[in-house]
Amino acid sequence: MLYEKFSFFIFSFCLEVRSCSSRQIRKKKLNLCLRQKYFQLCGFCGLIAKALRGRIFLGHPSLLVRLSFWSPKNMNSPSAQFVTSRRMGVYDPIHQMSMWGENFKSNSNLNSSASLIVEDVKLDSQSEDASHGISGPSNQYDQEATKPVDKAQRRLAQNREAARKSRLRKKAYVQQLETSRLKLIQLEHELECARHQGSYIGGGLDAIHPGFPGAVNPGITTFEIEYGNWVEEQNRQIRDLRNALNAHVTDMELRMLVENCRNHYFELFRMKETAAKADVFYVTSGMWKTSAERFFSWIGGIRPSELLKVMCGSSQINVLGPQLSPMTEQQSAEVVILRDACQQAEDALWQGMERLQQTLAETVAASQLIEGSYIPQMAPAMKKLEALVEFVNEADHIREEALEQMFRILTIRQAARGLLALGEYFQRFRALSKLWATRSHEPA
Amino acid sequence: MQQAIPYKSWPLPLHTNTGHTQQSFTLLNDMTNQSLVSPKAVLKPTEDMLSMVSESAVIVFARRGCCMGHVVRRLLLGLGVNPALYEVDEKDEGAVIKELELIRNGKDGKVQFPAVFIGGSLFGGLDRVMATHISGDLIPILKDAGALWL
Repeated sequence: MLYEKFSFFIFSFCLEVRSCSSRQIRKKKLNLCLRQKYFQLCGFCGLIAKALRGRIFLGHPSLLVRLSFWSPKNMNSPSAQFVTSRRMGVYDPIHQMSMWGENFKSNSNLNSSASLIVEDVKLDSQSEDASHGISGPSNQYDQEATKPVDKAQRRLAQNREAARKSRLRKKAYVQQLETSRLKLIQLEHELECARHQGSYIGGGLDAIHPGFPGAVNPGITTFEIEYGNWVEEQNRQIRDLRNALNAHVTDMELRMLVENCRNHYFELFRMKETAAKADVFYVTSGMWKTSAERFFSWIGGIRPSELLKVMCGSSQINVLGPQLSPMTEQQSAEVVILRDACQQAEDALWQGMERLQQTLAETVAASQLIEGSYIPQMAPAMKKLEALVEFVNEADHIREEALEQMFRILTIRQAARGLLALGEYFQRFRALSKLWATRSHEPA
Repeated sequence: MQQAIPYKSWPLPLHTNTGHTQQSFTLLNDMTNQSLVSPKAVLKPTEDMLSMVSESAVIVFARRGCCMGHVVRRLLLGLGVNPALYEVDEKDEGAVIKELELIRNGKDGKVQFPAVFIGGSLFGGLDRVMATHISGDLIPILKDAGALWL
């Protein structure tokens, strides 16, 4: 009785399913129905079905064979077969179901290897079956025993392939995304560099440095990052000095702060030396400084005499500026000597620079076009340009020596004040540059 | 700015020696900073170099057309010193360096151009000159060597 009910249900369900246009919906419906019915039967027989990925594996192969007839696209003449198969499909499952039921009854404890392969697998594999040359319905019964298994296996294999391919595609896509992301970060950084250095500098004529020195030269990029950190550290040290001087700390503590500050400046000179080797024009043009600071740039930095002037806190060395605790006469005299010496060194270096410019101009003017290229004649000019690195280093050397000498002349407290004055001087120029930049962006 | 008084005018023995490399030798014989008289002479190496170094209070060896050498010269001239200048051609560089290393009195480090000799011994390069000048030690040294008066 139960089987009859079941078969009737199956028949009606088949009709319903077949009327569905999409294969997927048919699949789902079949799946659902069969699953329900199977559970009922299982409950009756005491079996538990394992649903694997929405697929129920029905045990008996012959049942699958019958089920396979339900697909409309079977043979050459689908319509004729359709009718045949339908009829067969109607009756055979009943027959098969009874067989199936008997089988279940006899094998009450089904081993787990009994797999329920649902019809939807077969539905989809019909197209492949057609290509495998299934001759006629008469052969079906013989070959059907192995065919469903083959189809199932093939189906699984194809699915595996598809899954693997899709995984590979996903991996490739993700990798592409990663590289694009890195490129984007790099581009943003370059853009920031260029903006920071001022777009009016951008030399499109220079093929090697198209206005984005950071992009081309890793040494310069490193320097820019390091300089950014240096400025932050500098601001911190200035703050500490200010607090210390206002709090009237002991000389010992002040000495430590002064030492730190002094070493910090010397660190900058080392950084500049490395950067000059990487790209000397970058250093001499002062591109790493803010715009207002650049205005005062002298061979890649502040003028040494200017540096001393700021440290001493006033243009007239004899006047006791507010920055400096009173200097003794001895100290004042020494500072005067120092400033003179500094001035002389500066002048000598500057005259050397002018000489370099002159000879370079002469060399370039004398070079002629040979076979459409200037390159063979550029060798002496290139050599002269290399001399520029020495000039930058020498200028920094003068600055360093001047600072050292100041530390020798001044007391600790005076040196602290001097360093504070110097640091604030640079800070004010940076603030001025920022203000100027925002001002120039306002509409007229 | 005090002007340097030339205390000796160099006699220029003009002679060539077939066995030795010819070296062009330029001397500065000036009264003021502006006019530079540069008589050309060809001299024998080694002995004359030693004699040159020991006899002149300050002598600068530099490559021809080197701007750093120009800087040194300008600095010394600015101080009122009258340095003798020996301009070295590129091809003679190696030989001259060897000579100078023989002449110097046990100083460490290689001889580099521009090289400054004060009072007959190697003083150093541009770095050293700048450093000593800023620290204020250069002028006393020059005075001791007899390159400066007052």
